[in-house]
Amino acid sequence: MKLNQLILATFAGMQFVFPATAADDTATNSTGAAQAEIPAYTANGGATQSVEAAEIEALKKEVQELSQKVQALEHQRDLDQQTNAAVAADQIQDLDQKVRILARQRELDQESAVAAAKAQPRISVGANGFSFGSADSNFVVALHGVLQVDSRTFEQNDKVPGNDSILLRRARPILSGTVYRDFDFLFVPEFGGGTPGASSSATTPSIYDAYVNYRYSPEFQIQAGKFKAPVGLEQLQADVNLSFNERSLVTDLVPNRDLGFELHGDVAGGVLSYAAGIFNGVGDARNSSNIGFQDDREFNGRLFIQPFKQTSLKPLQNLGFGVGGSLGDSSITNTLGLPSTTGGSQPGFFTDGQQQFFAYTNGVVAAHTHWRLSPQGYYYYGPFSLMGEYAISDQDVRKGSRSADLQNTAWEISGGWVLTGENATFSGVTPKHPFDPRIGQWGALQVVGRYAELDVDKDAFPYFANSAASASEARAWAVGLNWYLNRNIRVNASYSHTAFTGGAGGSPSAAPGSVSSHPEDVFFTRVQLSF
Amino acid sequence: MKTLLKILLVSALAIAAGAKDIKLLNVSYDPTRELYQDYNTAFARYWKAKTGDTVVVAQSHGGSGKQAQSVINGLEADVVTLALAYDIDAIAQQAKLLPADWQKRLPDNSTPYTSTIVFLVRKGNPKHIKDWDDLVKPNVVVVTPNPKTSGGARWNYLAAWAYALDKNGRDGAKARDFVKRLYKNVPVLDSGARGSTTTFVEREIGDVLLAWENEAHLAIKQFGADKFDIVTPPLSILAEPPVAVVDKVAKKHGTTDVARAYLEYLYSDEGQDIAGRNFYRPRSEKAAAKYAGQFSPVKLVTVDEDFGGWQKAQKTHFADGGVFDQIFQP
Repeated sequence: MKLNQLILATFAGMQFVFPATAADDTATNSTGAAQAEIPAYTANGGATQSVEAAEIEALKKEVQELSQKVQALEHQRDLDQQTNAAVAADQIQDLDQKVRILARQRELDQESAVAAAKAQPRISVGANGFSFGSADSNFVVALHGVLQVDSRTFEQNDKVPGNDSILLRRARPILSGTVYRDFDFLFVPEFGGGTPGASSSATTPSIYDAYVNYRYSPEFQIQAGKFKAPVGLEQLQADVNLSFNERSLVTDLVPNRDLGFELHGDVAGGVLSYAAGIFNGVGDARNSSNIGFQDDREFNGRLFIQPFKQTSLKPLQNLGFGVGGSLGDSSITNTLGLPSTTGGSQPGFFTDGQQQFFAYTNGVVAAHTHWRLSPQGYYYYGPFSLMGEYAISDQDVRKGSRSADLQNTAWEISGGWVLTGENATFSGVTPKHPFDPRIGQWGALQVVGRYAELDVDKDAFPYFANSAASASEARAWAVGLNWYLNRNIRVNASYSHTAFTGGAGGSPSAAPGSVSSHPEDVFFTRVQLSF
Repeated sequence: MKTLLKILLVSALAIAAGAKDIKLLNVSYDPTRELYQDYNTAFARYWKAKTGDTVVVAQSHGGSGKQAQSVINGLEADVVTLALAYDIDAIAQQAKLLPADWQKRLPDNSTPYTSTIVFLVRKGNPKHIKDWDDLVKPNVVVVTPNPKTSGGARWNYLAAWAYALDKNGRDGAKARDFVKRLYKNVPVLDSGARGSTTTFVEREIGDVLLAWENEAHLAIKQFGADKFDIVTPPLSILAEPPVAVVDKVAKKHGTTDVARAYLEYLYSDEGQDIAGRNFYRPRSEKAAAKYAGQFSPVKLVTVDEDFGGWQKAQKTHFADGGVFDQIFQP
């Protein structure tokens, strides 16, 4: 447009003055940014015409030159624009790459952070205790604990040797863990009452469990150290999960903890559990010291089957039954091979109230063979629970030159119902609604009942036991209410009644006579913390 | 009675001889996913026909060094198929899961296929990258993984070093300077070769990816020949990814025989053909001839010749405080 205007104006005899910024579109538009001065017009002769023609030619030439300059300027402008665009494109591309690199770096940093987090040691604090371990779980250390504050209140308190008492039944810090993936350990010292109802020396802190377990697979594990001997079902149930404050009479006839080596495992996802081991050997209900009391060893073993555990038959999934047993021989006679001294000064058997109702007389020792057999089973379905166990403890004893093969037997059956509907299990009850009165949650309530008997071999009397003091039979029933506030806190209350056959008729001052002279009635309470 | 016993015996044998379901875990490096997907299917078919047993091979992939460390830390691999012998040596030495002379148990030093390092560039090669020298130019962005974690990255690094040695009359200082300049052009370090491919191909970062030859071909196959070109430099390195049965794990799993057969079958006609099909250079002449057309000629140096073997190369270049740590500034 601009060039056309110039040419037309030239032929019209117009003189133009271009602005310095002719190449600028804003200064060269058709609306009159250009200025024009119109000279006077004359119509004289040829000289005048030739002068005008020359001027026109000069003007044409000038216009051409100007036109070329304009074209050059426009070309330069286009080149500049292209160059600028190319530079801008390069800059954009550089920036784009930088942004992409930053974004990718961020991605990689996030991946690294996730990987690093996975490699970090793990710390866990919760209802199951406190634990920390390596990221791959090959090394784990966990701290658990059990605290049981009990009370026992006896009727006819003045006639029983056991005091009405508030007692620290168990106070156990528990250290467990895993090293090198396959090696588990457990260490449990006892700072509480120790052996229940025993003399003050038994309350001295002692080691209850201390073992190392090599776990090649769930089916094949080897354990060494001090731990519960694999015989009695009730004994094997964890202390914190018992239905009552104290185990029943049947546990009087099975070993407690012992030192030894055990091969054990769960086959087919727990359908079959087995354990077999060689131990120092302990008397009935005894808890081993940290060293054996004799040269000979005792074999313990247990098989337990839950045939429907892995089936879809829910009502039968938690049906289990089995048998435990032991066989030992005491070539060196010793009272440590006899039952525990719980509740008295001589080896014997004790009640729910931890009072001794039967005692061997002074001078009786374990001699030669001692075997036990314990058929056992349980059934759990929904809030219902049922457990039963029978135990035979067949023991050769000697006193002076006389010896006898005594076969003591016991059994128990116990059951329960969770009133609030939670499932009852061998591992306790987990409340659906943990205790929190602010929001109207009260935990879980369970009622429990139990009956148990223990019969002492009649051949024990009168030479190995004093029939005027020791009972030959105890029969106990108990009922209780368990309140599970949450997974860690539990409160129990129960009442137990034990009647005797034989024993003292009057009111002797010491066990076992004072215990067996009348039925035992005792009211228990417990506040339990476990984590 | 005898008849009954015979029936019982035959029944017992039949049960004992019944087909089994066998699981193997192959812990491998990053770019072998596709190779072993193909191969596992073929081996399972072969093993089923031979024994009647069903084999399912699970795969685990990642940077070769990281994978080796995982096995050392307890990842129960029946077999390892890693990027370089050093990583399997580490498993043998640190975890004692296989003997130190594991590499002698299979032909060709237990490396059933080989590969090399090539350049993957944008279509049309806009930065005109033809040789290693082009990678150290100031305006070239290079993508390669971290040699501390990636086997492929260690091959890349050593290939560049070998080129610089070759060009500079075996002058180690000049080679070091060359590699240092190359890594100045590397903006991000992925932990594995597959991650670097993602960086270059999907995130569109950089002008050139230093890649396993098979990985470069795979990128073109997957993302289109209209997007990338492969540039094979005149000189590169002979990469020999080894394979081995992890004896103690296989023994524990009861899979020793099938694990051994799994690796041996890599040398079979079918195994070699699968390797070639997946752009690895087969060892067998037959398969090598079949797939020769897809590989450009290249002068290949070896780790043993130029670096004195993997143990020495690792200690000199990639160990903590080694040359790479000294020259690379993130």
